[in-house]
Amino acid sequence: MKTRSIALCLAWLVAASTAQAKVNVFACEPEWGALTTAIAGDQANVTVATTALQDAHQIQARPSLIAGVRKAQLVFCSGAELETGWLPLLIRQAGNDGIQEGQPGNLMAASYVKTLDVPKVLDRSQGDLHAEGNPHIITDPRNLRIVARVLTDRLKLLDTPDAARYEASFVTFDQQLAARIEAWQKEAAPLRGAPIVIQHNVWAYLTNWLGLKVVAALEPKPGVPPTTSHLAGVLTKLAATPAKAIVVAAYEDPKAAQWLAGKTGLPVITLPYTVGGNKAAEDLFGLYDTTIAQLLQGIK
Amino acid sequence: MNTTALEFSILGPAFAAGLLVLATHVPLGIEVLRRGIIFIDLAIAQMAGLGALAGMLYWTDAAEGGQPFAVQACSLGAALGGALLLTWTERKFPDIQEALIGCLFVLSASVALLLIGQNPHGGEHIKDLLAGQILWVLWPQIGLVAVLYTALLGAWFGYRHRFGRAGFYVIFAFAVTASVQLVGVYLVFASLIMPALALRRTKGVRQLVAAYGTGAVGLAAGLILSALFDLSTGPTIVATLAVCALAAGALAAAGPKQ
Repeated sequence: MKTRSIALCLAWLVAASTAQAKVNVFACEPEWGALTTAIAGDQANVTVATTALQDAHQIQARPSLIAGVRKAQLVFCSGAELETGWLPLLIRQAGNDGIQEGQPGNLMAASYVKTLDVPKVLDRSQGDLHAEGNPHIITDPRNLRIVARVLTDRLKLLDTPDAARYEASFVTFDQQLAARIEAWQKEAAPLRGAPIVIQHNVWAYLTNWLGLKVVAALEPKPGVPPTTSHLAGVLTKLAATPAKAIVVAAYEDPKAAQWLAGKTGLPVITLPYTVGGNKAAEDLFGLYDTTIAQLLQGIK
Repeated sequence: MNTTALEFSILGPAFAAGLLVLATHVPLGIEVLRRGIIFIDLAIAQMAGLGALAGMLYWTDAAEGGQPFAVQACSLGAALGGALLLTWTERKFPDIQEALIGCLFVLSASVALLLIGQNPHGGEHIKDLLAGQILWVLWPQIGLVAVLYTALLGAWFGYRHRFGRAGFYVIFAFAVTASVQLVGVYLVFASLIMPALALRRTKGVRQLVAAYGTGAVGLAAGLILSALFDLSTGPTIVATLAVCALAAGALAAAGPKQ
């Protein structure tokens, strides 16, 4: 009897939560949660698996993650193997047919943009397991426009009665974003060609967008601490081509950057990387506003 | 607090896996405590993990599920090697056995770090090995382990008086090889030592039953708390097991003296 009343209670809770919001979206990273909210507003009930201060490569298993994927109509992630350590397990464990690979409920953002850093030869010894290219597409807002289009089409497919609403809010969002991108590019013009050092290659799309020049990467192999000889090589490179700043993401451990800053006196710029990475980056527009403002301030 | 994750289909496999681990580890833990070789499971578990890691690095498709038997064989081989080495050292140098176990643990952990130094997902492998991913366990895996553990328990309770030291270490190696991959080193250590420690003064069947009960309550409490408060499951269970063991220890001390 008791288990039955608990089950009924749970069923009621599920029913109550689906009555308020029509589409349950499970977003792997904060940027995709923010984008869903921008397009769907309160039509979507968004669960975000990671915070801006977490490395999306690795997260700990929590029951709520399985529950989130199980009730989701849409699983919205970066793809390109960013979540390879946990998302396949989660999808397998959740037993939800609609969000399996190839289904409309499975959206991997990186599959829709032209990815950078695609390895010519797949060789695991290079420490680069991203065969589909660099997954950190969020650092270029032009990718966001493409992904917003794909997301809108998926939402329309999953929730046909509200299709017109999604389309309308996409058009508004896209116009705003296009205008802001132009403004950001003008603002960031002085950054073109500026030499920087990065800690780890999450900035490929940003540097490509704004024309920043990466002199060296402190941790060339993601997840592998740099060797002494590599760090010595970075110092030699910097002596030949001086950089103006060291760029790290808010979620990264800045130890390597601080070490280099101590050796060279270069400023360390800690960028938010995604929505929520610092106070100013509270939404997608704020993210790029503050990213560019911080770069302009740090690189003089 | 959130009740949506409080579902049998989410927590059920983890609970079953935890119970299975307790089923073998509680009696083995009582024996470990009796012999005073507390850190043996850390050493053997680390050896098992090292073997699995070496296998995964050798067969590069193993991370995606290829060559599962080869990797298991590596893992078991390393654990058995460690176990037999410890049997030999216990006979040869009984007075420094605990210290040797500590050395074996640190050595195998460091070799694992060296092995994964070039592997970009190495850090994740090491963390999985330690904290475990009890939530990702699936029913077929549990079935296999259940078969293995039934055999081990049969051997332990039926024949343990007949085989000596080596028998204990061999059973231990088999049990830990399986449990480490299910729930991680920390939870293996907690299941092994905490219930046994709490009930160390109780004797006979009562000790076993009370230790099983303590473990099961700690496991269930950890799973429920981690679902309600959205906490990482493995570490939460370790914490609730500790609390339950403390409570059981206090109860046992307050109860009738034997």
